[in-house]
Amino acid sequence: MKQKLYNKLKFFTSKQEFSTIIILLLMLVGMSLLQNGFFTRRVIVSNINAFLPLILLSMGQAIVIVSGGLDMSCGNAMALMLCAMTKIMKADSPYTGVIAILVCILLSLAVGLANGFLVGYLRLPAIIATYATSYIWLGLALFITPTPGGEIVNWFKIFYDFSAVKGCAQWIKTIGSVLAPSVIMILLACTIWFFIGKKKLGRYIYAVGSHDDNAYYSGISTTKVHIKAYVINSLFIMMAALYFAGQNGAGSANIGETLTLQTVAAAVVGGVALSGGKGNVFMAIVGAIIMSLVSKIIYYINVPSAWQSFVSGVIIIIAISASAIYSYAEKRNLLREVN
Amino acid sequence: MMNSKNILLKYKKTFIALLLIVLTFVVGELIMVGVKGADPGSFLSVNQVLITIKLATFISLFGLCEMIVISTGGDMDLSVGWIATLAAIFSTRIMDGKNQNLLIAILIAIGVGAAFGLLNGLLVSYAKLPSLVVTLAMGNIIQGLINAYTTGIHISGEPSPIVKKLAAKYTGIVPNIVTILLILCIIVIIIIYKTKIGVKLLSIGSNPNTAYLSGLNIKLIRMIAFIASGAIAGIIGILLVGNAGTAYKDMGSNYLMPGIVAVVVGGVSVKGGEGNYFAVILGAIVLQTLTNLFVSLGWGDAGKWTGYGLILILMLITYVRNKRSR
Repeated sequence: MKQKLYNKLKFFTSKQEFSTIIILLLMLVGMSLLQNGFFTRRVIVSNINAFLPLILLSMGQAIVIVSGGLDMSCGNAMALMLCAMTKIMKADSPYTGVIAILVCILLSLAVGLANGFLVGYLRLPAIIATYATSYIWLGLALFITPTPGGEIVNWFKIFYDFSAVKGCAQWIKTIGSVLAPSVIMILLACTIWFFIGKKKLGRYIYAVGSHDDNAYYSGISTTKVHIKAYVINSLFIMMAALYFAGQNGAGSANIGETLTLQTVAAAVVGGVALSGGKGNVFMAIVGAIIMSLVSKIIYYINVPSAWQSFVSGVIIIIAISASAIYSYAEKRNLLREVN
Repeated sequence: MMNSKNILLKYKKTFIALLLIVLTFVVGELIMVGVKGADPGSFLSVNQVLITIKLATFISLFGLCEMIVISTGGDMDLSVGWIATLAAIFSTRIMDGKNQNLLIAILIAIGVGAAFGLLNGLLVSYAKLPSLVVTLAMGNIIQGLINAYTTGIHISGEPSPIVKKLAAKYTGIVPNIVTILLILCIIVIIIIYKTKIGVKLLSIGSNPNTAYLSGLNIKLIRMIAFIASGAIAGIIGILLVGNAGTAYKDMGSNYLMPGIVAVVVGGVSVKGGEGNYFAVILGAIVLQTLTNLFVSLGWGDAGKWTGYGLILILMLITYVRNKRSR
């Protein structure tokens, strides 16, 4: 009986995700000590609302990284979709909201296909190619909204807060007080990935990320897999853009610039290896929450906001170092086992 | 024996860069005069060309940092903009408008840059972390330091008159800094192609395995590349502040992307192994000319960034594709 328990414990602690979850729990404990009422529903919902863009973007980024690529353009792509939507919508005409969503879908397809084409078909190095496309998205967003502005129709707020929508049915509002739109979006994203991950495409994404050439020799069309991974990523970016539109009601082209690096860090903190083929996409959510909690903790222990970039940079380096140390240790353990 | 056909083939990319510059100037001139009705010579004239080269100089300087790092095998250094800004803020304080502290200011700028370069190099070369994320995070860290250092206090100090003369003023019609750039270009090309350390840099980028088997200490040399990049960025900081007359928080970040693009546009391989600095300078001039074109057309920032992105992609497609068929 004791042996069985011991084995089970060993199984859990040896999983790479275990240390990440422990860090998350520690941070949650720390936050609850720093902020009274951290675990009240209102505060939890407002936190999830604040973390949502990073969570969604990090999930998309994790999928792309697992497929062997990288997306340095997700922040600016989100800004582009946001600016396009807020430019199209006119507050007095609810019909424009539908057009805005259609345009957003088209844009997200364009972004995903463009990135996927450059990395999957032309086989440009993902880092530089998506770095370049990020400036294209930024430039286009600046074309559309040179200065922050724009508007949204009222029903667009369903992406942010059910009770803010005029003429919203009461039962939807009561659901909204328990399940905020942001939570629904996370659940939706998780469901999407859950089904894709289980199917053939999920296996192929891991295979291509793990070893591009071997996957090709096994008959997988690596081009298509890369493109599909980037398109799924831009689907998540679109959700984040819809949320931003509902929350802010206006668009700014520069809103995404700092997010991009954080999504990479969140994915790595969540255990996704930058070399591809390894990692659990759901853990990217944990990574995103950890990254966001760090900013909150800085705020609550009264570190001046000027230090935020500094701490964020240090955390990122610690995160990727930890991941590198972990995979190094794992390699050595494997070698020991073989010998 | 080099007959003209061989020279053409060997320096194909350099010629393409030169061609692009000429083309952009001509097209720009045609558009400005023909479509927009400006006076002839407002876009293409000796003065304009010199001003363009002067503006392109700072891009080429950052391009030098990038080229050194890229030549060792495809790493990139995204922190040089912030290193330059930090060095600018420190050195302007020290110089305070006089010449006597100039040497100390230069040493401190190089020291600060080299220190951060050392950190970058350790993390990338020895800890084997991806250079993009490490240098981006390091840039964040330096940005945080700058923010914390400058909160509430006004960045005081002025560059010394010598620096101002070198960076901002002209001798005749030629900007001084362009002369410095030309001298630097010759020095860099001699170092890269004729000295031991230069050849080692190129070898590592060209074929790391062979270099390792030939006894080169790859990790050390890669780290040296990052240190050099940081140190040069420090000096660029002093020149930047000499040009602008004062230091401010955001000096270097506008030059980072153009620096990388200049390397790619110049045809220097992003995978490493090449170190043709003259081509990088030409690439920077192409970029600056295009920026001038966008500005003249009234497209401003949006056009600039879109243009950079598109050009980078085009150049990547032309030069960097992994064409290996399988």
